[in-house]
Amino acid sequence: MTTTPASQTVVSFADGTAPVSGTAVFEIYIKTSPEKLWAAITDPEQRAKYNFGVQVHSDWAPGSSYRSGAPGVDIDIAAGENLVVEPPRLLVQSFNALWSEDVKAQGTTRVTWEIEPVGDSCRLTVVHDQLPETANAELYGGWPMILSGLKTLLETGELLTTPGSLMYAEG
Amino acid sequence: MVTYLRGVDLVFKALADQTRRDLLDALFTEDGQTLSALEGRVPMTRFGVMKHLKVLEEAGLVVTRKRGREKLHFLNPVPIRLIHDRWVSKYAEPWAAALTDLKAQLEES
Repeated sequence: MTTTPASQTVVSFADGTAPVSGTAVFEIYIKTSPEKLWAAITDPEQRAKYNFGVQVHSDWAPGSSYRSGAPGVDIDIAAGENLVVEPPRLLVQSFNALWSEDVKAQGTTRVTWEIEPVGDSCRLTVVHDQLPETANAELYGGWPMILSGLKTLLETGELLTTPGSLMYAEG
Repeated sequence: MVTYLRGVDLVFKALADQTRRDLLDALFTEDGQTLSALEGRVPMTRFGVMKHLKVLEEAGLVVTRKRGREKLHFLNPVPIRLIHDRWVSKYAEPWAAALTDLKAQLEES
């Protein structure tokens, strides 16, 4: 690993040096219906196809818990509660990252999924907030990749195979 | 596909301007800023900054959220990721990786 002189240090999401004001916002337009989008977010099989191979399991009742993990991979990815469940428009979840000791130490954050129909498409906004002041970028840095894969899946039925997209998937 | 292409044009157009890139950098350094805060980051009138923010919003690179009476501007990195997935990963990743390695090696020696 090379070290960069301090004068050349670049602020970046990837290495965790980008400060956030406790909130990160991600927005994407997807040509699909709110119902299909909701299903892609809450169905474990579909979720794994764009979420680094990670499934999300829950009964999706308001106040219920959820757990994320990848089949065949022996680490928990995340867990939390479904604070608000209003299909197919709004899902608010508490989010405890579990994939490393470092992210575990970041404590509980919050993820809000908002689906709004726009013409023949949907605007999906993911707000990841209640982040600690010096949040590890690993906590929220994966969203662009996840949402890009979700768009590809719903619009083409195909998997996005860019490096890292399915890092926890089997095979 | 059509929506994708239109979106990509807007993103490239939005990025083809120094002031707009400066505004994105300002949001990258500190996300969730008001118009007044952003005004102080670029040498431009309030109206000019508003105009540039509108272009960035239309391209999806900036998303606004209301917090109380304030309108906060957030950098939305998703459109850049879409361009990456469509273009960079397909054509440039092996080259980019090789060049990054070369850069690291040269800087080490």
